[in-house]
Amino acid sequence: MSDIAPGSTAPAASQTGGTERFAVWREHHAWSLAVSFRRLARRPIGSLLTIAVMALALALPLAFALLLLNVQRLGDALGRSQTVDVYLKLGQDQTAVTALADQLRQRPDIAGLSVKSPQQGLDELSRQQGFSDALHELSDNPLPWVVQLTPAKALSASAVASMVAEVAALPGVETVQDGGTWRQRLDALLGLGGQVVLGWSLMLALAAVLVVGNTVRVDISGRIEEIGVLLLLGASPRFIRRPYLYAGIWYGLLGGGLAVLLAAGIEYGLAAPAAALSAAYGGTLQLNALPAWVLAAVPAGAAILGWVGARLVSGWQLRRMA
Amino acid sequence: MIRFEQVSKRYDEGHTALAEVSFEVAAGEMVFVTGHSGAGKSTLLRMLALAERPTAGRVWLNQTDLAAARASQVAPLRRRIGMVFQDHRLLTDRSVFANVELPLMIGDHSRRQRRQRVMDALTKVGLQAYAEQLPSTLSTGEQQRVGIARAIVARPELLIADEPTGNLDPQLAMEIMGLFTEFEQLGTTVLIASHDLSLIKRLHRRVIVLDHGQLVADVAAREVL
Repeated sequence: MSDIAPGSTAPAASQTGGTERFAVWREHHAWSLAVSFRRLARRPIGSLLTIAVMALALALPLAFALLLLNVQRLGDALGRSQTVDVYLKLGQDQTAVTALADQLRQRPDIAGLSVKSPQQGLDELSRQQGFSDALHELSDNPLPWVVQLTPAKALSASAVASMVAEVAALPGVETVQDGGTWRQRLDALLGLGGQVVLGWSLMLALAAVLVVGNTVRVDISGRIEEIGVLLLLGASPRFIRRPYLYAGIWYGLLGGGLAVLLAAGIEYGLAAPAAALSAAYGGTLQLNALPAWVLAAVPAGAAILGWVGARLVSGWQLRRMA
Repeated sequence: MIRFEQVSKRYDEGHTALAEVSFEVAAGEMVFVTGHSGAGKSTLLRMLALAERPTAGRVWLNQTDLAAARASQVAPLRRRIGMVFQDHRLLTDRSVFANVELPLMIGDHSRRQRRQRVMDALTKVGLQAYAEQLPSTLSTGEQQRVGIARAIVARPELLIADEPTGNLDPQLAMEIMGLFTEFEQLGTTVLIASHDLSLIKRLHRRVIVLDHGQLVADVAAREVL
């Protein structure tokens, strides 16, 4: 009987040592983790709706990021066959052209080049339907010498642009036509798309925080009596809040996991049509998957968002109740 | 142990729940607070539980002025007090064991300590066989005993009870009061709000009488006799 006598020992708060206190703290975290999951499981419809909304909010920017990644990859693939046509001034002899070609070969930003004579140009034109008769009427060959350059592989769009400008300034060069200006436009569009994805992600992350926050608010509202009892028994706000914070983490983790699955589903669904499209153009392009670190970071980031939502709302509600 | 110094509580709408109430309760004493409904009994207990703050005066628990307690001090101070409510306030989705265990979980007790103390407390109130049941499967009297077990399990310095026998028949009420007197004999300070005068008279303890928020009588135990 004496063992349970009230007031027979020091007050409750000082019952354990440091190591034991840590073990109790750890035990309460484990308990909160388990009980928060059980509470989620007890309300399957409500929990699934929250998780689904969160998953959609996260999957949308993920799918758009996947699209950007693959457009960029397509641009890289096409960019590798990019050529720059250098049209020389009329009336140049072969010696001058060869000297210019040798000079260009020295440049590290040029991977290769081929020289096309006026006669070769004329032959190409005559092979094209409808031109043959017209060309027979010409007394002279009006075409210039053309040097076709292939930029080095790792060259950025701006480096290609400066190389083009330098080549255009060389003596004997009439004009330079960069077949890769489309790439610069694509890069600009991709940059814009990246910014849109970032802004969109931030807004949807905020939406995810609000969704979890609202769910936790409803959960806390349904447990006002329990929380009132815990407060009267001397529970700290941190102690009371813990299961709700874990609930936020669960929502985030499960929502993030589902978002990754949705993104994988989109990727899987688009793989076959993309391959068919590529084959129609004689290519072998395959969709690029999102990097593994992104797939791992999404549930982890979503868990943090869930925690933030739960923390904000539970802190506000408990302050009001206390 | 407990000292009320000119304590008043007025609500914004003008109602006065307590008016300049002063009294002291010594450590280990068992005192009844009585009066009609609305006399201020519950307000007085709620001040000790830090659920209300006085609008004037001071409430001391040992050397601590409860009226001036900071928000961060409230939870640790409440852990020093065991509370029994008329409506039990048990968590219906947790077992009897888990309900009684709550103050120990809050107070950072190890699993081994908790198991031992909860079973001791349940044995004390005669409910050790009901540990795994849900409170809803128990009778009103049994639920009140669970509430008492929860109040004493963390060995509080002060035990306060607001109408603990309000819903119980006379025989059960005496059994519950018997538990409180046992805790008193073990040195615990016990403060019970009750309007059941016949019960109070049978226990021969000091009685504080409130009427419309004013302390109208403080009758010593021997005078009750």
